[in-house]
Amino acid sequence: MAKKRVAFKEALIEAVDEGLLMLGESGRDVVYFHLQHSYGLRKESIPDNPEIFIDCLRKIFGLGAQVIEKSIVKVLCRKLEIEYVEVKNHTFARYLNDIKSAVEVKD
Amino acid sequence: MPGLLKIYKVSLLIIVALMLIYAFQGYYPEFISFFSNAFPPLIAGATVIISGFSLGKYWHRAGEQFSIVWLCFTCGLFLWFMGEATWAGYTLILGVELPYPSVADIFWVSGYIPFLIALLLYVKIFSPAISWKMFLASMLTTLGLAIFVSAALITPILGVEEDVVTMAMDFAYPLLDIALFSVAFLGLLIFWKGNLGKSWLLINVAILLDVCADMLFGYATAQGTYYSGHVADLIFDLSYLFFLLAFYVHAKEF
Repeated sequence: MAKKRVAFKEALIEAVDEGLLMLGESGRDVVYFHLQHSYGLRKESIPDNPEIFIDCLRKIFGLGAQVIEKSIVKVLCRKLEIEYVEVKNHTFARYLNDIKSAVEVKD
Repeated sequence: MPGLLKIYKVSLLIIVALMLIYAFQGYYPEFISFFSNAFPPLIAGATVIISGFSLGKYWHRAGEQFSIVWLCFTCGLFLWFMGEATWAGYTLILGVELPYPSVADIFWVSGYIPFLIALLLYVKIFSPAISWKMFLASMLTTLGLAIFVSAALITPILGVEEDVVTMAMDFAYPLLDIALFSVAFLGLLIFWKGNLGKSWLLINVAILLDVCADMLFGYATAQGTYYSGHVADLIFDLSYLFFLLAFYVHAKEF
């Protein structure tokens, strides 16, 4: 179980890294900079505090944050070999919970 | 953010100062004639520098979309700066009273292309966030603005004897501004609730000021009432100031 949790966290960190690439590498670095300086959150801690990460994205991009969130969820699904299913009005945290559950069921 | 408050205060001071300079121009006609031609290259140059800083901040490599966005913004603003500098060269050095249309217009019109590309690429990154309602709101606003501008300009411009190129220019500038606005307004709707919304609001204000200034300029030149120090010149200066602020705020907020 602990192994699975670690794998999920690692996949999420990688998914955030890849998802933020839609802003380019410099844009991604700026998001990480804001996250660390305004919220005291390092990228390695995002899986434990996804709501802070999302708050940071929404504070910068407004509605545009949804696009980044969706991109991260898609990458995460791909990494964990789970089918991405879009659900209307699903929050980022809810998607993460669904993906976690799907991983557990799959294994 | 204290840094931003400072720049807002400085900008407000510049706006008030510019308004006062233009309002009391009757007392110093020679100075206003010089100032209205010499100031635009300065403010346009400052805008290029600020955009260049943002380019330095966001640039990573040529193939990256966000890097291209900032390269295009800076190129567009640089071409507009060249337009201003060429106009100043004509009026202040060569003594041409109204260099319109001229080489300056080639720079100005060319500047719209990279600027529009920059706006399109930026908004395209976040396009999945655009709902049908947002798209419709943007299209209706743009259409309303285009109808208003065309209706306001058709009679005064077509009613006078101007050559085709001048007439085309009179319509082209405000319509190109509206093309920029159609994309910038979508950007505003996307980022409105975020910190980047401030920057997009300033971009939209700058473009709308350009629409007003270009309409006034086209109208005044067609009617033969344009002079150096016309209110259109003030609005052009304010537009550059808002662009400068927009790019500064963007670099500060993101």
